[in-house]
This record gives sequence, structure tokens and C-alpha cells, in this order.
Amino acid sequence: MFNTKSKVLVVDDMSTMRKIISKILKELEFTDISEAVDGEDAWMKALEANPPFDLIISDWNMPNCSGLDFLKRVRAHDKLKKTPFLLVTAESEQQQVLEAVSSGVDQYIVKPFSKESLKQKLEIAYKRVAKRIGA
Amino acid sequence: MKDVASGFIQAFVDATIYAFKAQVGVDVVPGKVIVCDQHNEYSGDISGIISIVGDKVNGSFVISFTEETFLKVMSKMLGEAFTSLTPDILDGASEMTNIIFGKSKVPLNEKGFGIKMALPTVVSGKNHHLSSLCNGPVAVVKFESDLGGFLIKIGLNRL
Repeated sequence: MFNTKSKVLVVDDMSTMRKIISKILKELEFTDISEAVDGEDAWMKALEANPPFDLIISDWNMPNCSGLDFLKRVRAHDKLKKTPFLLVTAESEQQQVLEAVSSGVDQYIVKPFSKESLKQKLEIAYKRVAKRIGA
Repeated sequence: MKDVASGFIQAFVDATIYAFKAQVGVDVVPGKVIVCDQHNEYSGDISGIISIVGDKVNGSFVISFTEETFLKVMSKMLGEAFTSLTPDILDGASEMTNIIFGKSKVPLNEKGFGIKMALPTVVSGKNHHLSSLCNGPVAVVKFESDLGGFLIKIGLNRL
């Protein structure tokens, strides 16, 4: 089960999708939710966050810095690399999924999605991270 | 070209039905496919546009709403009542375009079209008309729903 006290960063260039994800997170009883408008903004917020974010939910297809590029930066950073990372995308082709997995994504969710499917993906992501860090 | 075009249109029609059901929670019913030239009379108040760039074909996809329908769609999708257009909800047209495009790409790329990822944009303005940049005909499909009607346009370049 995930921890609803987690500090979450929601990244999407579309305000409507940030609203949808934040609304679902609130329904799942998450309370500490921040937003970023693209990968570049998210990267700055991730570096500045103290304490760091416990979970990142990011869109893939964004201008400036894509979600995949943001993920690669996070995974290459000593202090951030273990942060659970969930990619949200309208892309569901196998090639894209494989690229995300090889870049270190914990879970991948295809738009449109329901509250239940986001909840499931979060649970799986948290389990994977716990296993990876030996918690 | 005719087979390519009909396969394309069906992929976007199916994806539109799926996206509205899954993201907005509403059933949308497509009308007949109308094939027209660039200077067709179909207009809208809010439109989402995305370029189709692939290995075998290119063109554009547009979804156009009246303001009334768009406000109802956004209200249903975001769970709050919107009575006027704001920058915050205008990008909802872009999001719907993105979702429909992403869903359409799956069956099309399984057929080897190699359509690339793209970023959608939004145009707003009462009763605007969008001229396609494609050199081929434009397929228009009108949809009906409990939230009102809207239309999609698929333009493909002649190969």
C-alpha cells in the first residue's frame, strides 16, 4: 500500500490533466501535492525540494523537457534516483513502453485512465521501489 | 489512397468514441463520414489540432467544439461547473486531441505507418474556420452526445 503522506510532484504541460491527476490523488487522500508545467520546471522543483519528493507523476509528451528526459535526469542524480516515478502518456505502443522501462520508470499509465487504475499503478510502483531499495 | 484514408478515418473515429467514454464518461455517436475540399463550411469555437507525420502518410487531425458543448465536456471531465472559457480549461481541447491521437496511432502503427509523437495546439475564436494545410480532401465526422455535438476533421496529403 502506498503512503498518502507522500510528497507528490505532478508534471504536465496541460492544466486540465494536472487538475485531473491532482483531483484523483486528493480522492486517494494524498495531501501534499505540487505541480510543474514541464520537465524543466519539474527538474528545478525536484532539485529545490526539501524534503525531496516521495513520488513523481509525469506526463511524457511535453515541450522544453519531455517526461522521459526528466526521468533520465532523475535516475542519473544521486539524491533523486530512487524516487518512485510514474509516467503518464497517451502513447501505448510497445516501443515507447520499452523505452520508458529501460530508462528506469517504475510504472507507466496510458491516458485516459480511471482512479482505480492510477491507484493500482501507484501500489505497484511503491512495491517495486521498496524491493529495489531493500526496504 | 482511398483504402489508406478510410483506415485512417476509422482509427480516429474509434479513438474518439473510446476517449470520450473513458476520459469524460459520455457516449458519443458518430455520423457519416463527409469528404469535402479544403474550403468546407465546418467551423467551431474551440479546436484542438495535431500534425500527423509518419513514414507513409502525413496530414492533420482536428477536433472542433462549440463553446456550449466544450464547457459541458470540461465540466463533466473535471467535475466542476464551468460557465465561461478560461485559459485553464482551453487546453482541455489539446488534451482530448492528444488522447485521441495517441489511441489512433496504435492500430495505424501496427499497420506500419510509423506515425511519430506530436504536440497538439488549441485555436479558439467564435465560429472560426481552419483551412487544412494538406493537399488532399478532408474527411469530416460529426458526433452527437448528451453534452452536445462536435466534429473531427482528418486531412491527408496526396501521396
